Amino acid sequence: MTSIEKRRIAVTGIGMVTPLGNNAASTWSGLLAGKSGAGPTRNFDASGFTTTFSAEVKDFDPETAVPSQKLLKYASRSHRFALAAAAEALADAGIQPTEADSHRWGLAVGAGMMSVAYDDLKVVNDFAAPEGRFDAAGLMNPDFPGNPVNFCRWQSNAGLGLLTKQFGIRGYATSVHTACASGGQAVGTALKVMRRGRCDYMLAGGFDSMINPIGISGFCLLGALSKDNDNPTGASRPFDATRSGFVLGEGAGFLVLEDWDRAKARGAKIYAELAGDGNSLSCYRITDSPPDGNGPIQAIEQALGDAGISAADVDYVNAHGTSTQMNDRSECAALKSVFAGRVDEVRVSSTKSCMGHLIAAAGAVEAAVCCLAIRDGIAPVNANYETPDPDCNVRLVLGAPEKLRIRAAVSNSLGFGGSNSSLVFRNPEEVNP
Amino acid sequence: MKNTKEKIVFTGSGIVCGAGATVEDVWSRLESGDTAVAPFTQFDNEKWPVKVAAEVQQDNRFLVSDRKLHKTISRTDMYGIYAAERAIEESGLLSYRESLPEEEVDRFNDRSGLIIGSGGGNYTSNYDYIPVIAEAKGELPVFGRELANLVTPMWLLQNLPNNVLCHVGIRGQFKGTNACITNQCVGGVLAVAEAASAIWNGEADRVAAAGHDLPFEPEMVYYYHKLGLMSGEAPKPFDAERNGTVFGEGAGAVVLEREADAKARGAKVLGEFLGFGCCSEATGILDLAPDGDGVERAIKEALMDAGVEPSEIGVICAHGNGTPASDLTESMGIRRVFGESIPPVTGFKWAYGHLIAASGIVDLVMTLEMLKRGVVPGIPTLQEMDPLIQPFPVSSDTAKPLSDIALLICRGFGGMNVALVVKAAS
Repeated sequence: MTSIEKRRIAVTGIGMVTPLGNNAASTWSGLLAGKSGAGPTRNFDASGFTTTFSAEVKDFDPETAVPSQKLLKYASRSHRFALAAAAEALADAGIQPTEADSHRWGLAVGAGMMSVAYDDLKVVNDFAAPEGRFDAAGLMNPDFPGNPVNFCRWQSNAGLGLLTKQFGIRGYATSVHTACASGGQAVGTALKVMRRGRCDYMLAGGFDSMINPIGISGFCLLGALSKDNDNPTGASRPFDATRSGFVLGEGAGFLVLEDWDRAKARGAKIYAELAGDGNSLSCYRITDSPPDGNGPIQAIEQALGDAGISAADVDYVNAHGTSTQMNDRSECAALKSVFAGRVDEVRVSSTKSCMGHLIAAAGAVEAAVCCLAIRDGIAPVNANYETPDPDCNVRLVLGAPEKLRIRAAVSNSLGFGGSNSSLVFRNPEEVNP
Repeated sequence: MKNTKEKIVFTGSGIVCGAGATVEDVWSRLESGDTAVAPFTQFDNEKWPVKVAAEVQQDNRFLVSDRKLHKTISRTDMYGIYAAERAIEESGLLSYRESLPEEEVDRFNDRSGLIIGSGGGNYTSNYDYIPVIAEAKGELPVFGRELANLVTPMWLLQNLPNNVLCHVGIRGQFKGTNACITNQCVGGVLAVAEAASAIWNGEADRVAAAGHDLPFEPEMVYYYHKLGLMSGEAPKPFDAERNGTVFGEGAGAVVLEREADAKARGAKVLGEFLGFGCCSEATGILDLAPDGDGVERAIKEALMDAGVEPSEIGVICAHGNGTPASDLTESMGIRRVFGESIPPVTGFKWAYGHLIAASGIVDLVMTLEMLKRGVVPGIPTLQEMDPLIQPFPVSSDTAKPLSDIALLICRGFGGMNVALVVKAAS
């Protein structure tokens, strides 16, 4: 292995649309207040489902968020979150692609799984499967109202197409999906692409919205969601012994990544250095997490090594912490292995306790949260924790957010299918003391 | 642009498509001009304006012998698992691992990467919900209550876009760097580009890359046809009468590693990876830049990455999907790089249709075979060159590559363009 001088990458812009707020500031203040974004599902009538609550994005106005009517037409709910969060991140960074440098701008997104919308399936039902059995001949009925706009919206890289067009990004562009690890892997991919020298600026993030009848069905069938229908705000309780499943959220998070020296030269505010990426595959079972943390351990260690720091330099871990029995146990086993003697010192919280699980957007939103935690010197709270679980005895941030100078933060994302992503963010003061 | 000049080689490949499930079978179709595009059998084509596709002939048991797995994955996953495991098998990496001392196995696994380009989902799998929709008669609460009675609890797991990544990983214990790329048509080739980058940058010592897709479904055919992208016969890239593409299905895969490592373990080398380019035209979901802008930039970036001059390219495997706009702009982009000295150009979609996420990586597997044999198959469906495209060195006859280096182009929705430069094994 050839050792190379690693290019330093700065985070200079942040944008979020989450169940706690429709921008980064409101999301962050919601987290600091320990608010919950969960409540009875209003996107559709969920009263017949086994889980009737979720963490929805509220009062989101796509007309203001997406300036182009034409783009809006092609944008699904998750694409709209993405366009809004990306616009916020670029405005926050105070830069955007220009004619001269658009080919040096890249995009890496973690995109949600493309489920066909309930209404579109209803149309197929009406025309091609009236009794429930599909007959392709029905699509040839001249009255079948199949709309190519819906088809476009459903393409696996539709979000990429809309984002590159809206912001004029003409360099490297990619879209990834490794379930709950998607957002983290997208940010990690962006770091790698920049270090290879292919781009000087990247927009990196994730977006998802599965709070719709078809999207939520897959999770209900699998039994992965919390069924605490009487207590939506307390249902997401990562690491608590009584945890019983995750709370489905939705939203988007984006970061603007920039060459460190260029960011310095233009006097940009730098939230953090995106210092390291770790990426592994558990190769255990499709939904089960390895009980001994084998898989997540490699991802965290790789990320620390990539950042050129050690476990001793980390002060905060934004855990994947889904609030499922297995994930939280596996993740704690990994944290204990990596942080060993410091496991009682390193603060850990899962912000899913407040905003739910944003699936493909989770890793990107939580990456943004790490940047804000570093900026403000505050570790967000792990809400709803009451009953200790001996398997999860890590140093959780309990009761309230904790004032804490953070030298480096780790953000974990562990997905169905066994993909693990860890990102390391360093305090800019640690980079240039 | 890359950090080292370390040579990266291909040591295994796998393929399954309408034209066959081995490189030899697919090559003989390419060489004999015998297209696999034929009237489709998966549903009644009688009322359909499009009646053909290139369907995979092999059944699930042929593709994945472990029948327990059949219940937990979908058919597109079978294609991906089949191709990826053929490539890994051909590379000899698993038997090499068996020869390692036990204490080295964990590190070997942690340094083995897996990157998959996935179609990312499809329409038909969602039809599993239609019986509940029919039952509910527009009443969502009824849909919610009946769900568990009518749909398998495993639905989500059967349809995860990253299933191939998960199962090839579990079966082969490739535990290192990984990704599932859902970037429509360019997913498969981008997996190869990311695999090479991971090795160049020291993130992995070896990576298996695969792309798989099953676009041939009634509703996909319906929309592609409605958008004017679908032909009723085998595609005729660059022909004056070309009128669209035709779906194929299947998967392609390759294994990449350092040449030094391949040599040290005595592996057979299929070719060398030299470089890639990847860019977006920022034109939205369907539109293409009218002047071949992205094609030109992707090729130039790939050549620069490879350290190769345009004059050194001996043959071009074009995306050539047979749609009027894509072929025209692709030829413009090629001309903007090569001027009037364009090497022989060919494309393979006439033979096995358009495999969408798997298209480029299947083309790559066959491009390596083309370089090995020193023969450029013609495009037999080409009858009359498009006057707007010519002069352009495509032909219905076979040709000889001008060198042992090939350029491969892959284009996709989202204004995506990816170019790879590969070389024959020396």
